[in-house]
Amino acid sequence: MNAPQHASLIGQRIPKMDAPEKVAGKTRYIQDLNLPGQLYGLILRTERVHARIVSIDTSAAKALPGVRAVLTAADVPIHPIGVNKDNPPLKGDKVRCERDEVAAVAADSLEIAQAAIKLIKVEYEDLPPIFDPRDSIKDGAPVIHAAKPDNVAMAFDYAHGDVERGEAESDVVVEDEFTLHRVTHCCMGVSGVIADFEPVSGNLTLYSNTQVPFLHKREFAEVLGMDPSRIRIIQPPIGGGFGSKLDIYPFEPIAVYLAKATRRPVKLIFTREEEFIASPTRQPAIIRLRSGAKKDGTLTFRTVDVLLDNGGYTSWGATIPFVMMQTFSSLYRVPHCRYHTKAVYTNNPFAGSFRGYGNLQATFAIEQQMDKMADALGIEPYEFRLKNAQNAGEVTGQGMHFKTCGFQDCLETAAGRSGFVEKRKALGAAKGLSGVRRGVGMASMLHVGGGAKIYPSDGCGTILKLDDFGHVTIMTGASEIGQGSETVLAQLVCEELGVPMSAVTVVNNDTDITPWDVGVHASRTTFIAGNSAIGAARKAKDKILAAAATVSNMKAEEMDLKGGNIVRASDGEKVMPLAKMLRQLHFSDKAELVMTTNYYEPPSVHQDKGFKGDVSAAYAWATQVVEVEVDTDTGIVKLLKVWAAHDVGRVLNEMGIEGQIEGGIIMGQGYALCEDMPVVEGHLVNPAFRDYKLITAPEIPEMDISFIETMDGEGPQGAKGVGEAPSICMAAAVANAIENATGVRIASLPFTPERVYSALKGRPL
Amino acid sequence: MTAIERYLAPAGLDDALAALAGGNATILAGGTDLMPQINAGKVAFRPILLNIRRIPELRAVEVGQGRISIGALVTINELKDNPVIAKAVPLLAEAADHFASDQVRNMGTIGGNVANASPAGDTLVPLLVLDAEVELASATGRRSVPMAEFFTGPGRSVRRPDELITALSLPLPRLRTVSRFVKFGTRPALDISAVSIGFSATLDGGRLSDVRVAFGAVGPVPMRGRATEAVLEGAALDAAIIAKAAATAQGEVKPIDDLRASAWYRRELIHNLLGKVLSDVVSR
Ligand SMILES: Cc1cc2nc3c(=O)[nH]c(=O)nc-3n(C[C@H](O)[C@H](O)[C@H](O)COP(=O)(O)OP(=O)(O)OC[C@H]3O[C@@H](n4cnc5c(N)ncnc54)[C@H](O)[C@@H]3O)c2cc1C
Repeated sequence: MNAPQHASLIGQRIPKMDAPEKVAGKTRYIQDLNLPGQLYGLILRTERVHARIVSIDTSAAKALPGVRAVLTAADVPIHPIGVNKDNPPLKGDKVRCERDEVAAVAADSLEIAQAAIKLIKVEYEDLPPIFDPRDSIKDGAPVIHAAKPDNVAMAFDYAHGDVERGEAESDVVVEDEFTLHRVTHCCMGVSGVIADFEPVSGNLTLYSNTQVPFLHKREFAEVLGMDPSRIRIIQPPIGGGFGSKLDIYPFEPIAVYLAKATRRPVKLIFTREEEFIASPTRQPAIIRLRSGAKKDGTLTFRTVDVLLDNGGYTSWGATIPFVMMQTFSSLYRVPHCRYHTKAVYTNNPFAGSFRGYGNLQATFAIEQQMDKMADALGIEPYEFRLKNAQNAGEVTGQGMHFKTCGFQDCLETAAGRSGFVEKRKALGAAKGLSGVRRGVGMASMLHVGGGAKIYPSDGCGTILKLDDFGHVTIMTGASEIGQGSETVLAQLVCEELGVPMSAVTVVNNDTDITPWDVGVHASRTTFIAGNSAIGAARKAKDKILAAAATVSNMKAEEMDLKGGNIVRASDGEKVMPLAKMLRQLHFSDKAELVMTTNYYEPPSVHQDKGFKGDVSAAYAWATQVVEVEVDTDTGIVKLLKVWAAHDVGRVLNEMGIEGQIEGGIIMGQGYALCEDMPVVEGHLVNPAFRDYKLITAPEIPEMDISFIETMDGEGPQGAKGVGEAPSICMAAAVANAIENATGVRIASLPFTPERVYSALKGRPL
Repeated sequence: MTAIERYLAPAGLDDALAALAGGNATILAGGTDLMPQINAGKVAFRPILLNIRRIPELRAVEVGQGRISIGALVTINELKDNPVIAKAVPLLAEAADHFASDQVRNMGTIGGNVANASPAGDTLVPLLVLDAEVELASATGRRSVPMAEFFTGPGRSVRRPDELITALSLPLPRLRTVSRFVKFGTRPALDISAVSIGFSATLDGGRLSDVRVAFGAVGPVPMRGRATEAVLEGAALDAAIIAKAAATAQGEVKPIDDLRASAWYRRELIHNLLGKVLSDVVSR
């Protein structure tokens, strides 16, 4: 009789472990959580965008029955948060944008809190505001933060090679200015926290939607002047993050202040309108890009000047120039590059981190110029890209080492499957500007795919245990924010231990239990947490097989774990059930449990002062081709089809990765075509889904997704991170497609019907 | 905060009219306009909240004496799916198909759409083109007001606070009537019109008569395009007439700049979309 064959789980279509509960409406989000004795917290935000606070009168609010605390800056320690430490959770001296928190209330009910907020009187003295980042750096501009009299929140300079030489060698030089708008994450799960402070023990439990629990804990301790070990963060299921939950925000310390003041748990959850007004956005950017190439199509140089609208305060998002820089220096072979970026203060809502982290903006500029240069050189844009695309083994001017590199495969696959070259030629040849026109456009991207070493450690810890019945519990530092990480971690562990998915529980939401992880960002979780989990599982397997060797006549290396059994590696013949072995270990003289720990630190390096170094353990690539229809009577751009080819290292969960790529494409589509947050004199004019246009089902295009499997040597089972990659190319590809359809190139986003129509009519935008 | 002092959900029209008589009741139909407006603080509840959804006669759809009467509580999805309406006034069914999403269409009513008096209300343009009359009732009597005289400004109409809209009454279109509705929004689903156009005419022997054109979201109230109608009345639709009508329409609308579109763009859309509508009529 043949031993049963156990197919590998890698590459299978595995539904997300949390899907059944979510679909059945059984998932308990933070909104569903209530603690005994809990109060409701609410924040009074300013209606001014730049003003001195003259006085705050809270007496009437305090007198309202059911109000348990009313706090202003005068009642709490002043400890600003954010990367620049420029954002006091409650504002005492002045307000700098429409989000600003001037007072907070805790009350027995939300209705009472709402009534109390209305009773607070604030007197302001307006200060001259700045709304355009270009005005921030003019001489004599009003100063937004006294500590930064030049209004520059952060500046970055990078160079490799000699751009003057590069320019001298160029046959074609193009220069453009690109303007990128403000959009936001639109997580279905809005921001919120429940702060539970136990006055006797001094312990603080935070029920939080954060995507970086361990960094959060550290920063909270700093802000609150607490011992970090007294802080426990529990994450209920998180309704989406996309980078929006990467920072600590004022509402979180405010909830703790309220809990401390009242000695009761305080729940503070945003309304949807508040989520629009007071949660972070993607950075609006003005990018001036100058690039050159030789007649034969070799790129010669890039010089880049970026101005970012930081808004009133500085979040982690102000560090997106790190990622933009990587794309400018290293997407294609660029022998000479010089890059300068300033993130400047304005009185607009402040920007934060958002999937892609600056790469959508940078790619929008570069990939439009690639088309422009190709046209100027008379080279087919696809050929031009292919000529400059890197291969495995290359090291870029910035020091990124592409150990595996599917860039050229991505280009060839996307172009081949879409018939890009012939289509572009045929569609571009049709002249005239009437009726409905079609066009195709291409764009490629480079993004970190093996973490990014920007903190002292880019690691993740795992604790793994097996019980007497062969059930595995994985305790991982990596948070699940809807991306499917818990499923992929379980899958990787099952693959090592030869147990079915049903035999695994993942614990990933409690800092008192799970080991440290730097957080969900930089597309790193599958790669870093995956390697960490595999390491823990291998240690467990070694232990189990070593024990099995003592009770069988085989060596440990001759055995394997499959189908819940210890088997002979050569033919899969069953040696003994895994659970039996575990019990023997436990209840024998040895009295041992199988429990292992592992901390994985990727072999990447910190960048030096000049921002050089191999910052990620692997790099992800993609090329996307889009086909659009432009109605020249209305300016409506319809996205018909997307061909996406992604170097993903290896497909682990086919269903999960498809979901990730489809979702990313749609997010990129929204960025390109309709999402927008017009801010007029510092005020967001559309804080509702009625007027903030997300893509709806009928607009979702047909998708043709190809996976390029480069089998990365460091990746878990060969995989790379792909979380951010799929949204990055879309806007650039759509811009190029509109140009192909109409002959008109639009350098500013989003491509709303009116903007496109105006551009077609040559009207200034 | 104004609190609701009484909530009433009468089953009879007379009870509802009596509750309204003092002019201090808020009428609730589907609530799809009312509730967002209350939540945004744009509207305050009056002391009485009057739910009219239990009044059967407000749901009736009746055809007789050359007219169709559509009860105020008929939902947008019923407009789309009711075979009597689809046969008698297909333009209304077409407009309903462009309206919001299924969830909103299941709740939102035609009476609410008219009473709300938004210049972007999607049934208003077809109702104007179809020469509808608004049937009003109060404790003191009944009256009908032609659509063209009903609206006085954004969110305002000649309806008195003690009056209820009971139905919309429309003459049945004549034979050989052609009608069209186009709504322009930035996306195909769930969008508020940036402009809309309704068109209806009798097409006989290649000539148009009884031409009615109306525009939505291009002025303080949904408007009839009288100048455009004059260009088209009695004309044979050729390229020159279409161009002239489109240009006339572009000139006669009075749009404003707002979040959804600039005035310039709205005029361009009216020009281009009316051209499309008329070309489409010719080609059928
Ligand atoms: C997400 C969303 C999308 C939408 N999309 C569209 C769209 O595409 N097109 C569009 O035109 N509208 C749209 N609307 C607006 C709204 O759905 C419609 O105007 C709908 O027809 C209103 O009907 P209702 O029954 O819900 O009115 P309600 O909200 O119940 O009432 C609206 C107003 O009319 C009054 N009222 C209601 N019935 C009567 C009556 N019989 N007599 C006198 N007064 C009355 C109420 O007191 C209130 O002031 C949308 C709304 C939402 C929330």
